Amino acid sequence: MGITDIWTVLILRPMINAMLGLYAVLGHQFWLAIVVFTVIIRGLMTPLMLPQQRSAKKMQELQPKLQELQKKYGKDKERLAQEQMKLYREAGVNPMGGCLPMLIQLPIWLGLYQSIIQSLGHQPLQLLNLSSNIYPWLNDLLGIWSAVPLNRYFLGMDLALTPQQLGGLTYALPVLVAFTSYLQSKMTVPSSGGDGQAASMNQSMTLMMPLMFGFFSLNFSTGLSFYFIVSNIIGIVTQGFISGWEGLQFWKGMSFSGLLGGGGAKPAPSKPKPPTQQPPVDSQPSTGQKGTQSGSKKRKKKRRRKR
Amino acid sequence: MTHWSRVAATVVGLLLLGTVLASCGSAPVAQNWPGLTVAEGNVYVISGIPQKVFILDAETGRQKGTFVPQEETRGVVYWSPVTLGGGLAFVGFAEDGKDTAGLYAFDPETGEELWHVPAASLIIGAPAYAEGMVYFGSSDGILHAVDVQARRESTTFSFRSEEAIWASPLVREGRVYVAGMDHFVYCLDAQSGRVLWKTQVGGAMAARPLWHDGTLYVGAFDGQVYALDAETGTLLDGFHFQAGNWIWSEPLMADGRLYVTSLDGKLYALDPATGEVIPPYPYDSHEIDGKKNVLRAGPVQAGGYIIVATESGYVVAVEEGERRWTWPGGLPTAGVLTTPVVAGDTLYIALMNGQVQALEAETGLTLPGWPFEPPSESK
Repeated sequence: MGITDIWTVLILRPMINAMLGLYAVLGHQFWLAIVVFTVIIRGLMTPLMLPQQRSAKKMQELQPKLQELQKKYGKDKERLAQEQMKLYREAGVNPMGGCLPMLIQLPIWLGLYQSIIQSLGHQPLQLLNLSSNIYPWLNDLLGIWSAVPLNRYFLGMDLALTPQQLGGLTYALPVLVAFTSYLQSKMTVPSSGGDGQAASMNQSMTLMMPLMFGFFSLNFSTGLSFYFIVSNIIGIVTQGFISGWEGLQFWKGMSFSGLLGGGGAKPAPSKPKPPTQQPPVDSQPSTGQKGTQSGSKKRKKKRRRKR
Repeated sequence: MTHWSRVAATVVGLLLLGTVLASCGSAPVAQNWPGLTVAEGNVYVISGIPQKVFILDAETGRQKGTFVPQEETRGVVYWSPVTLGGGLAFVGFAEDGKDTAGLYAFDPETGEELWHVPAASLIIGAPAYAEGMVYFGSSDGILHAVDVQARRESTTFSFRSEEAIWASPLVREGRVYVAGMDHFVYCLDAQSGRVLWKTQVGGAMAARPLWHDGTLYVGAFDGQVYALDAETGTLLDGFHFQAGNWIWSEPLMADGRLYVTSLDGKLYALDPATGEVIPPYPYDSHEIDGKKNVLRAGPVQAGGYIIVATESGYVVAVEEGERRWTWPGGLPTAGVLTTPVVAGDTLYIALMNGQVQALEAETGLTLPGWPFEPPSESK
């Protein structure tokens, strides 16, 4: 069995049949099958996604401490890395934790793309492949063979074709994909970077990833855009419940230079709390932290002068 | 999300981006199996990269000419098989994302383009020529009728179905029979396109119906063969046949039996009145190499055998349910999805890798001068 067969048996075929099954029970509406399928996939991935989302929140809270470490050990990179790892360990944060959900989603995207193309096949070879991927028992149960070719239209839009092929209003889909990806990134990315380089990178990624997904959506079938949009909305809502909704106020503090990765596109700062009510290393913006710390040093100097 | 996960995401994203960009600039890709036609001493096959119609001498395999629409092709291309009629050759052509879709007429000896009639969508099934008209279906559900003399679509003919028409139309005695992907078999007036009758069956149909003795036989994606009265469209009482997978090819009537191939890999011989399988059939092509074989291509009769070709590249001659000879494909890219064509004692086969084989139907041996390989610059 080659790698292609393994991919087909383990990923593609189950996905195609899940889509076809949903299509059969949801009134022969493929767009609805995609939406429900996305909700199910996100539900199944929740055990993997939740730690990542919680980790994102913890990372936000750790930013001031990371900055302190940067100041303290900035010149000794080795020591800095050790201290950062120690901090992550103590806080129970895995800096690589975000990779796993990303890597797990990758085959899902590819599988979903292929299953959409095959299920909605508008070319002979695609339909021929589809015939060999339908589980016979599913056909016996739901009469899938008779449902082919599937109804691939939603509001007059062919879900098997790309916005480039369809033109017109379908160009709104990549824009929506990019926008919802951006919102999701804004809610996940730490409100300020630990050090200049990381902050700059986070800032770039917040913009680059949505643009990349928007570009993919432009070139892939519109059915996949449905998956991205629904998946992003679910991600936004769950992240909102975990770490709050401040990230949605993305326009606050936004500037053109920030959009270009210069650090100007800062998220809306959470309402500053009095220093006495909050430990200095909690989730306050780093600029506020600096101010609090320098104020504290001045007060200490004044006390020494009085003595 | 952390710094390192961002880095990983960037790498993954760039890989995806590279894949997309790589696919954008690649050579044209065909999305259909090659059309194969043998007529008037020539073989017409869609082959090569980028694809063209190659005109070959049916005897020697020598290339006589090619046809390709004048427009440069860079994207995904679709061709129908070639049809001859009225001294011309006709082929459907389309390229993804361009306004080149249409029926092209060319010189059947030289391949010189003569004229074309645009269509709004892909043409998958072979056009049908009858009495100065060319009929062809397209993926937008329209059945076109082109007046060859006027070199334009007939102004009196109009028909559109709810789904794509991939099957080649069958024209007979002033009527056009069309099997649609919308599960309907239509009988139309050849002059006006007026629906004389239509009958719904249980699945989509992508192959031309077979007319025999006043009955139409057509295979469908629900795995059934339907028998209809060609005059009225009524489904024949008492006829029932169910295969183990879709039926995507035109049935064959030979020696009083109805032969049908299915994607389940089997060749069935049916009683034309009842649809009952006649023993010792079905012939199961899995027995060739013990692997799953798909029979997309339809059966043909030659050299006293019923001949079928498999998706895995085997061509086998079957007699009374037993395999008599096998032509080995052997290459993973050299499957056969196109129904072989018989001319005299020769069996022509178009492989998915662009090769054309000419076999002696009685023995399965390759004839001298064959196979035809598309020239390397177009391969």
